[in-house]
Amino acid sequence: MADLLFTHSYLILLFPLLSFVTISLRPVQLSPKMAGRFAIGCQGLSMLYGLAVAAAYWQTVIGQPQLYPARSLVCFDLAWLNFSPTLTANMGIFLDPISVMMIVVISIISFLVNIYSVGYMKDDPGFARFFALMALFSFSMLGLVISSNILQMFVFWELVGMSSYALIGFWYQKPSAVAASKKAFVVTRFADTFFLIGIIVVSFYTQSFDFQTLNSPETAALLDHTFMLGIVPINLLTLATILIFTGGWGKSAMFPLHIWLPDAMEGPTPVSSIIHSATMVVAGVFLTARMFPLFAASEVTLAVVQFVGAFTALFAAIIAITQKDIKRILAFSTLSQLGYMLFSLGVAKMVTGIHPGAEINPLGYSAAMYHVFTHAFFKCMLFLGAGAIIHAVHSNDIMDMGGLRRLMPKTYWSLLTACLAIGGIFPFSGFWSKDAILLAALQSGHYIVCAVGLATGGLTAFYIFRFFFLTFHGRARSKFHDVRENSWMTFSIMALTIPTVTAGMLEHLFVSEVTVPGLAYTPNFSHPLWLPTLASLAGIAGISLAWTFYGRGRTEAAERCRLRIAPVYQVIYNKFYIDEVYLFITHKIIFHGIAAPIKWLDRHIVDGAMNLIGEFLQQGGKAVRLLQNGQLQLYLGVTTLGFIALLFLGR
Amino acid sequence: MNILLLPDLLIILLAASILAIDLYRGKPQSTVSFHMSWIGLLVIFCLLIILPYDQEITYWGTYKVTGISLLFKQVFVLSSLCTVLLSAPYFKPGGNARGVLRYRSEFYFIILLCTFGMFAVVSATGLLTLFIGMELATIPLYILSGYQKEDSLSVEAATKYIIMGSLSTGLLVFGYSFLYGCAGSLSFKAISVFAMASPTDPLFRLGVLFVLAAIGFKLTIFPFHMWAPDVYDGAPTPVTAFISVSSKAVAIGFLLILVYGPLAPLHNYLQIILLILAGATMTVGNLGALKQKRLRRFMAYSSIAQAGYIIMAMAGTAAAAYSSIIYYLFVYAAANYAIFFIISIVGRNGEEEFKSLQGMGKQNPVLAAVLMLTLFSLGGIPPLAGFMGKFLLFAAAAERGFYSMVIFAALNSTISLYYYLLLVKEAYIIKPAIAPRVLVIDNIQRISLVLLTSAMVSLGLIPLFSSNIMAIVQ
Repeated sequence: MADLLFTHSYLILLFPLLSFVTISLRPVQLSPKMAGRFAIGCQGLSMLYGLAVAAAYWQTVIGQPQLYPARSLVCFDLAWLNFSPTLTANMGIFLDPISVMMIVVISIISFLVNIYSVGYMKDDPGFARFFALMALFSFSMLGLVISSNILQMFVFWELVGMSSYALIGFWYQKPSAVAASKKAFVVTRFADTFFLIGIIVVSFYTQSFDFQTLNSPETAALLDHTFMLGIVPINLLTLATILIFTGGWGKSAMFPLHIWLPDAMEGPTPVSSIIHSATMVVAGVFLTARMFPLFAASEVTLAVVQFVGAFTALFAAIIAITQKDIKRILAFSTLSQLGYMLFSLGVAKMVTGIHPGAEINPLGYSAAMYHVFTHAFFKCMLFLGAGAIIHAVHSNDIMDMGGLRRLMPKTYWSLLTACLAIGGIFPFSGFWSKDAILLAALQSGHYIVCAVGLATGGLTAFYIFRFFFLTFHGRARSKFHDVRENSWMTFSIMALTIPTVTAGMLEHLFVSEVTVPGLAYTPNFSHPLWLPTLASLAGIAGISLAWTFYGRGRTEAAERCRLRIAPVYQVIYNKFYIDEVYLFITHKIIFHGIAAPIKWLDRHIVDGAMNLIGEFLQQGGKAVRLLQNGQLQLYLGVTTLGFIALLFLGR
Repeated sequence: MNILLLPDLLIILLAASILAIDLYRGKPQSTVSFHMSWIGLLVIFCLLIILPYDQEITYWGTYKVTGISLLFKQVFVLSSLCTVLLSAPYFKPGGNARGVLRYRSEFYFIILLCTFGMFAVVSATGLLTLFIGMELATIPLYILSGYQKEDSLSVEAATKYIIMGSLSTGLLVFGYSFLYGCAGSLSFKAISVFAMASPTDPLFRLGVLFVLAAIGFKLTIFPFHMWAPDVYDGAPTPVTAFISVSSKAVAIGFLLILVYGPLAPLHNYLQIILLILAGATMTVGNLGALKQKRLRRFMAYSSIAQAGYIIMAMAGTAAAAYSSIIYYLFVYAAANYAIFFIISIVGRNGEEEFKSLQGMGKQNPVLAAVLMLTLFSLGGIPPLAGFMGKFLLFAAAAERGFYSMVIFAALNSTISLYYYLLLVKEAYIIKPAIAPRVLVIDNIQRISLVLLTSAMVSLGLIPLFSSNIMAIVQ
């Protein structure tokens, strides 16, 4: 039974693909309503199959550690492209704890978000197109996580980027949406270029794309040598792993490539909830986890990951405090939480000498994956809630809201659980996963990062409750018309409270089962009680502060405070002017300094040459046509002459 | 008697019984022969699939069945099957603007006979079988291209074809006489022994060049391609399709058997000649296609260019050449027949011209999408089968280090993309001057197009097919 499930595990992908093809090509006429139902049906089947595979995996692989010591299973692996006798790209399905976890997360969230979208996208002229693209996204994202090799992963990696691009620009009539989609595409593609170079470098040396080969100690040893680039010594392993990580850097929108994510909020809110918070942006974290043994073998790479993650966590949290757009607050919050996940992977490498004999702290790895899991649910719900609010009040600005508690009670209570979860309050899911991350940092001896994590936790609680109080509490700050909760939408929101509240129970499962592949050693460290206490205190302090400022839905106190630190506030509110720096670099330096001369060259010399070639070919075409005049004598003559020429040629 | 010979016997039996039934109970409008042909061909195809591919049996010393020849037979049978299905509306009144074809049973009989000739070519163990097979595969085509008897273009095409074809047969036999003179026997084994012993013998090489020129006709290699545009344009569309796929495939099979069989010791010598011919052929084909306005003529040039790419792979090793070329034949057949099915749909009540495609994107988006996919496959755009096919062909030449040739071919392929896209432009962008006619698609055409399109997509995406062929070849 389990074998049969595994053999046909491609079905998880096939259902969304079928839905995409059917809705977009329309071989039969589907009304928009039917298209939506069909998409939900396919997504539901995919989810059921995904859960069945997960259950089978649990029983077969996790349940029999003696048969599957590496906890992984290759369902199938077929040769796809044969580049050279020694290098073949395969297509396969690889199941291990993290890919199974991601299948569960993606398929459940896809299903719920599809249901939600029926309400959210009601009466939109592009209703069917929306569901087609969402199905394409689910297909690509599921394909990404179950890839058996890095090239296949890259293919799906680009496909998710493509669907993200199409969905951000879903309302293509809006210039801002088009600009945002282009920005997202260009920035992530820029990062992906390095990813591809990394793949080429690694596969060139190892003659393999396979994750299991790439993650073996032999590969690390093979790559671990230093060469001189000019006068700079470069370690090949570090170079290759950083190049690969750069792909994740862009996809997970880490500083300074984070600029696309806040703008991506131009897309419909269901899109933001699934793609730009719960699943796609986690791809960078997933990639790092997938390649973890190789990354960990390098001296530098995980330090980079850790630094980038910790910095972004703090940086984005600070910006989130000042934002007024409901979705942008959540976008920066996502950035910050992604930072948590990445630095958690980073701290899985211990500071030398802290625990003699141990180099890797598997808790960092498990905690990161655990946070991916918990975050997906509560952040998805936050976005869906925000979407419900936007749908009801037709504004994105939290300053226009307030007092929605009575009007949208179901949304209110559900979002409260999500806010408590992300704020790290006991016993909601976020508390457990953040606690695991902080503990991992502490155990590995990265005290500064641990402190950053604690501080960010406080900031998180503050900004999320600022959002919460300003939207729901106090009195309405503008006039609303006809605010109602849509049952399609509230269903999904309420369904997500279940994992948000209860996922905390899974901590032991993650710590014991989702571990670094190929690491037999499982350390058992003590858990100091002061750490969760301190984290909780930070969270509670953040909430209390938010309550004092905004608790009654008023903004005066905050306004006074803002005026006192006006210059600093301005800098933060404008996101540290990073976008402007980018604009300066791209417009002033690249466009004017580099692109303009190249454009001239292209217009006048390259185009000229191309036109000349085109003209030449067209003339050639005419000549061939003229020669073909229909006269048999000429044909026979050409043939004879041609044959004589052939005889000369073969002399 | 072994079952490996069964397909060959069945096809003769099928042909004979179609003729016999027509003779005794035939009515002009009867469709019995049509159903017999396609069902029979389908059965033979299924049989071909289940036969063992790892055996090699020689019958009476002159007829050899191997895995490779079975693969070729698959191509031939599929191609005949497509032709039979494609021809269905052409025998019905109102099925085609050019007029109704008559003598349906004879048509299928001739197609089947021709297919048997092709079977013989790929099963040859000596020059004699090769020659008889080749003639059996060619002479019926002369008849078929004049099948539209009332149409002067069709008659002209047949006349040109038979005159040019006779010249080619003359060259072939003349070339044979040199080979026979040198080796003292018609069997491949004797020729191979002679070629091994004295590969530089000038008379022997002369014979080889004659044979090459003769086969150049069938394969439409420059400068022996001149007949192709006129014949393709004049012949009835199903016949054009059959010539463009089957006749080309059999000529390639012929060449492969010679080049990697008895003439293998001359491979280094032939390599350069083949590459030069390939380069010239693809260029002429591509240039010629640039300025065409009629669909069948356009397809003639397109298939000339495709022949160039195929010949290029013969610079590679035997395994690479065989596997890449056979794979490409499948891909090429699928795409070509898809185009010809679309041409037949367009030609039901209009000229088979570029203009007739206008407005298709609006009026019949699915058909237009199929057309676009097909053209992309012919142009070699991933992930369609055409890309994979070209990739393998180019790789076969690159493996031997002919990188400049590969670059040249890739540039040529870019030109081809230009004119393939012209058709897409015609279907999607150009606004029709007059209201486009309603396109009628019958069930045979619909099902065939669905199957061909899925073949084009799956052949490219699913690696099973190419690796299977590779395994059989090795």
